Amino acid sequence: MKYPLKLTVNGELFEVEIPANRTLLDLLRNDLNLKGTKEGCGTGECGACTVLLDGEPVNSCLVLALQAEGREVITIEGVSDGERLHPIQEALIHYGAIQCGFCTPGMILSAKALLDRDPNPTERKIRESLVGNFCRCTGYQKIVEAILSLRSREKE
Amino acid sequence: MGNYSIIGHSVPQIDAKEKAKGVAEFVSDLQFPGMLYGKILRSPHPHARLLQIDPSRAKRLKGVKAVVTAEDTPNLPFGPRTEDWTIFAVDKVRFIGDEVAAVAAVDEETAEEALELIQVEYEELPAVFDPVEAMKPGAPLIHNRENNIVSEFRLNKGDVDRAFRECDWVHAERYYTNQVYQAYLEPMACVAHFDPQGKLTLYLATQIPSMTRITYAKALGLPLEKVRVVVPHYGGAFGAKMETNLHLAGAVLSQKTGKPVRMVNNREEDFMAGNPRVPMHIDLKVGAKKDGKLVAKEVRIIGASGARAVYSMAIVATACYRVDSLYHFEHLRTEGITVYTNTVPTSCFRGFGNAQMTFALESTLDRIAEALKMDPAELRIRNGLKTGEVSIHGWQIGSSGLEDCIRKAVEASGWKEKRRQKRFGRGLGLACCNHVSGNRAFSREFDGGAGIVRIGREGKVLVYHGESDMGQGQKTAFAQIVAEELGVRLDQIEVAPVDTDISPFGMGSFATRGTVFGGNGLKAAAREAKEEIFQIAAELFETSPSQLEAREGKIYVKGEPERHLPFAKVAEAGVLRRGGAPIVGIGFWVPDTVLPDPVTKYGNISPAYPFACQIAEVEVDTETGNVTVVNYTAAHDVGQAVNPVAIEGQIEGGVTQ
Repeated sequence: MKYPLKLTVNGELFEVEIPANRTLLDLLRNDLNLKGTKEGCGTGECGACTVLLDGEPVNSCLVLALQAEGREVITIEGVSDGERLHPIQEALIHYGAIQCGFCTPGMILSAKALLDRDPNPTERKIRESLVGNFCRCTGYQKIVEAILSLRSREKE
Repeated sequence: MGNYSIIGHSVPQIDAKEKAKGVAEFVSDLQFPGMLYGKILRSPHPHARLLQIDPSRAKRLKGVKAVVTAEDTPNLPFGPRTEDWTIFAVDKVRFIGDEVAAVAAVDEETAEEALELIQVEYEELPAVFDPVEAMKPGAPLIHNRENNIVSEFRLNKGDVDRAFRECDWVHAERYYTNQVYQAYLEPMACVAHFDPQGKLTLYLATQIPSMTRITYAKALGLPLEKVRVVVPHYGGAFGAKMETNLHLAGAVLSQKTGKPVRMVNNREEDFMAGNPRVPMHIDLKVGAKKDGKLVAKEVRIIGASGARAVYSMAIVATACYRVDSLYHFEHLRTEGITVYTNTVPTSCFRGFGNAQMTFALESTLDRIAEALKMDPAELRIRNGLKTGEVSIHGWQIGSSGLEDCIRKAVEASGWKEKRRQKRFGRGLGLACCNHVSGNRAFSREFDGGAGIVRIGREGKVLVYHGESDMGQGQKTAFAQIVAEELGVRLDQIEVAPVDTDISPFGMGSFATRGTVFGGNGLKAAAREAKEEIFQIAAELFETSPSQLEAREGKIYVKGEPERHLPFAKVAEAGVLRRGGAPIVGIGFWVPDTVLPDPVTKYGNISPAYPFACQIAEVEVDTETGNVTVVNYTAAHDVGQAVNPVAIEGQIEGGVTQ
């Protein structure tokens, strides 16, 4: 049994028919071929599958696709403006905060959700906001430094 | 240190942008036309006789294309070190997670459903999980080896008993180190594809592409030329991603179906059947003189290899004796026993056994320092190996930054002041370590690294190597080395993915060897290519190659800054003059390491030896016992840092891990 689903992904409207048990992660990766969203655990622990659902970061492996009906999803593919990278992407590259890169898309979306809400987070707030995004390569140090550099008061 | 324009300068990874944009394709992202999805049926029992497998119901499920078991394989024993592996279990299962059968289906969900329909009859057997228990008489035998012993390692020097009698202080203690899972972010994965000509292409997340190719060809009963390994982006490894039956199960399914098959462990499977760190029982006794001079060391390690041996015996051996080249000991007695257990096979994880022993030895040294009323930092400086010294096992220490590392870490951490003003619930601890940069003993037939540099008509420099970038930034280091040698810009270099049909044979990335070996091989290759391109430029300038120099992508006539040509122009002229032949440099590097004697282990196993000192300041909640790290200082002697920001990232990542 398949159900109709209408949702917006990165500004584009999609209409699909899917089984009720399809996760948002599988919808993005397999039905919409948006492979930038990664699966690290499938159980909501690692954060590699983080996307924004109406601006809020969610583990897309724990969201049923049908729950996204009528809502707006932003994935890593929707973060940069063509060749023009988002400042978070620029900062992570510049600070050497990307090693294997498997956690990077999810990390960027969690950071984006934070900075969209609060352009001047404390370091503690940054670390708390990334607590659901595991990175096993970098030890987080350079990721936090990169995001600290983006605070609006650092740029003034 | 050389005077370099690209090496030694921090640069972002050359593939950081594609990773930041989410467009870098990882192994688990790969998709091919007609691709099937494979899943493995794993044993639910730690030890059981395999009486019968009935796949008929699973085969009838709509969407299932193949169900395979040991009967569908050549059933040849194989393994990277000891031939105790089969692709699927035969007669017995030996750990929870052991591979019993595999399914290929049109999607992962169908494959998972099919697993539940495979009927397996087991007869449970007594199991043993701890290596000490497994060695006892009467313990269940896992591979019909006496006392379940995989291998025994012994190494004795001097007169240990007399030395201990003459010591002023002897400390003996028993340590245990856990089986730790590496938890790289991307679980193990592959795509296997047999083409109609019977050639198998494996897209693998592997640190050792050329070595897995040899092992897998043997397992599949194929001639080596029928196996090709390609290494796309993959999400971390930390030692774990070497040989795994997951890849071979994919190959068998592809052979059966004629389709590409993608296999990805889910996280639970990766915990069950990955390659976690070898857990060790370590009995360590160290004797010292009043003045802090270390004299004798006696160690007995019992390590659990799990249900089949991967590299565990070499890891236990490393734990036994690597630290003897960190500090001077005159008298040694060493025994390392590796034992089968009914647990997941264990293997490499950052340090190859060195981490386990470092924990034990450094804990013991603190006790000795305390007993002798010495500063623990001073105790280490007094005993550490210095530049130009040769260790008891023949390691020639070309340079040792150990003392510098200790002094810098002590200074940066406020070690002396903080130790003076002791605060309840706060503590400061220091530990040192040494390591190798490549290990001559790992593969006795071979040491070295090679590279190919290919410059096409458009002037793009394509670099081929046989090592493996798992995210540590090796490709960037290679690009820096080649750009430096050729005198081109970093953006003119592209590093090709490893493809065993094209890339040089390489031992792979482990033991801190990839950048040193692959990098030196590529340096030699770039030198060759540069000679060729200078030859062409010399003809264009009507001068001799010795009159030329290259920098930032331009070739100049020395002393005449206005006479220059872009590198790409010279490349184009060369390719067109030579019937279209690209400019190719092939180079290799074989270090003057010395193969260790099989019995005494005396030899010089690495072209360089890194050293480090780290200091942790911790706070203990005296009510809950919870420990918080409040400060951490790491000082590492890394030699020439090719990309400083990348090596900082390695150290920060290693510390956190």
